[in-house]
Amino acid sequence: MHNRFPKRVASLARRGVPGYFLAVAACAAVALPVRLLAPWLAPANIVMLFLLAVFLVALYLGRRPAMLAAFLSVAVFDFFFVQPHFSFAVVDAQYLVTFSVMLAVALITGQFAARLGQQAEEALERESHTRALYEMARELAGAVSVAQVAETTQQFLEAGLGATASLLLPDANDKLHAVAEGQAVSQDFSLPRRAYQRGEPVEVLGFSGRGVITLYLPLLTPMRARGVLEITAEAGLLHQERALLDTVASLAAIAVERLHYAEVARAVEMRMAAERLRHSVLASLSHDLRTPLTALVGLADTLLLDVDPATHRETAQALREQAMALTRMVNNLLDLARLSAGGVVLRREWQPLEEVAGAAIKLLGTALDGHPVTVRLPTDLPLLEFDAVLLERVIGNLLDNAAKYAPAASPILLEAHLAQGQVEVSVCDEGPGFPQGLELLEPFVRGAAESSQPGIGLGLAICKAIVEAHGGRLELANPPEGGARARFTLPLGSPPAIDEEMP
Amino acid sequence: MSRVLIVEDEPQIRRFVRLALHGEGCEVTETGTLREGLALAGDTRPDLVILDLGLPDGDGLDFIRAWRAWSEAPLLVLSARGLEADKVAALDAGADDYLSKPFGVAELLARARALLRRRGAGEGAARPLREFGRVAVDLARREVRVDGQAVHLTPIEYRLLTLFLSHPGRVLTHRQLLREVWGPGHGNSGHTLRVYVGRLRHLLEQDPTQPQHVLTEIGVGYRFESEAAPT
Repeated sequence: MHNRFPKRVASLARRGVPGYFLAVAACAAVALPVRLLAPWLAPANIVMLFLLAVFLVALYLGRRPAMLAAFLSVAVFDFFFVQPHFSFAVVDAQYLVTFSVMLAVALITGQFAARLGQQAEEALERESHTRALYEMARELAGAVSVAQVAETTQQFLEAGLGATASLLLPDANDKLHAVAEGQAVSQDFSLPRRAYQRGEPVEVLGFSGRGVITLYLPLLTPMRARGVLEITAEAGLLHQERALLDTVASLAAIAVERLHYAEVARAVEMRMAAERLRHSVLASLSHDLRTPLTALVGLADTLLLDVDPATHRETAQALREQAMALTRMVNNLLDLARLSAGGVVLRREWQPLEEVAGAAIKLLGTALDGHPVTVRLPTDLPLLEFDAVLLERVIGNLLDNAAKYAPAASPILLEAHLAQGQVEVSVCDEGPGFPQGLELLEPFVRGAAESSQPGIGLGLAICKAIVEAHGGRLELANPPEGGARARFTLPLGSPPAIDEEMP
Repeated sequence: MSRVLIVEDEPQIRRFVRLALHGEGCEVTETGTLREGLALAGDTRPDLVILDLGLPDGDGLDFIRAWRAWSEAPLLVLSARGLEADKVAALDAGADDYLSKPFGVAELLARARALLRRRGAGEGAARPLREFGRVAVDLARREVRVDGQAVHLTPIEYRLLTLFLSHPGRVLTHRQLLREVWGPGHGNSGHTLRVYVGRLRHLLEQDPTQPQHVLTEIGVGYRFESEAAPT
């Protein structure tokens, strides 16, 4: 970002003392060699050499040093090279004409050369401005956040004009805020608000020093003002570069507007996705809840109508299983509702993972359906901080899934590993693995749609929500050795000390 | 014959609880409100109260406190899953055990029997020898054997074990256990309790990751079962 305006620095230096000094030096540089070669040079050629020096001074050092050089050249020529030497007196009156013409030519060419140099320099400066602006515009076009827009604009104005700038954007209540905290010069937003509401620039004397002003430029777009650009810099510079600042403001405005519409588009898309989800939820819920309910009604009727007491027991057993399946579904629905309502406060306590694993297995009981579960935990597993009730749901749901989809009586492995500041807990089964291409961690997505397995596709979504609330991650994988593996992580902390017994 | 009082506002639940207890030979009184429940409790002096925590006319905790003011008879609380804090509050207020809705008749009867038996036998009856699973405890000699081999328990481990042994089939909250074993002032040492229970399991259970006797009641406390549940 730096060196965008190198010429500016050069032109400032040119107007200072070094310019005059160099002009004197240039005259001396001509005078010395010419003095040595004087016997072999015609006076007309000596004049030419001095004119060349004046011309070069004008070209590179500007008008004023060129004038100095012009007068100095005439004086030096007179003093050293015109009879009598080492005196300003002139014997041959012809030389008066030579001096006049020499001075006139030096001044005129100096003028022209200086203007030429200045124009070239201005062209270079304009070009570097344009290039810097172009680079900024390109960065703004690629910006994906207003913070990035603010940063790009700030850096440009800082590097270019030495100005401090900040971007003030309205919030949902149309109140202006600095994009980056603590960046705004004033905490009083009445001036930027005026610029924002009226859509015209507002200028105030700066608070930070003499000759410094703060300029509020509205970010105008065809529809409305999108915010305010606050620039604080030296007054003269701000006025001189006003056109540039307007360009910067309008570039920033376009970028902010583009981001605004991108945000609008994303919100619409999310609303549509939510709508689609609602439809699929209703469809799947009505199917998945009605199925066990239908079975319950039918089974109860069977009990009523069936006169053979021998089959009563079997029917009652089926009735119970259906009711328990329905219970699990309702539990999951309630859990997800609670979790997604955001009203869940984690009751985190330091405890061993072993305990919650054992409780989950115990609670599942017959739902494990004869699958033997092996628990393999490292002996040096420290206490972890988690909400036991919720983590029991996670382990329970993962085990339940494994039991549902793996072949009958196949073993299930629950194991944990310590890894880089966290614990990885996996549930592995020998089933067919997770179906590919499905967002199984999303609510109401089921691996086997409308399968004979009861469920509503909430188990994994609940696990994900709970694990993430604990600062962990849940991943599903089908390891190369076969089966399915659900793995979640929990962060390790620093557990409190145990009150050990006095020996 | 044991007298049981059911305080539950849902008639269908009352119905099947009543039928189940009748089958056990209990004499059952029932009501749907807290006020009537307290009146009936005074009149019938039941041996066991089964109380739903979510009653329409008041807080079940008030019932427990009022009941505990004059009776030592056991009290079983019915509560929905997910309301662990309510269960802990009920247990700390003096309830003896809880059942999560929905529950089956088998679970209900197991809990009711355990509570009534405790009353019949009297807690901490003078039986110095206790056995569960592969563990034998001689309370008189303070000896613990696993598969016939003597096992060394630290004083706290032993106190924890005897506490479990004297409350078979009953849930003990974290707070109750901390108070009984460590004494008052250890309210925040839940993690210490959990570590000691884990050690006890590693000493006594066949598979400490899937305990059969010292069971975890998630979010509430622990329950000791002297007989392994069939899985």
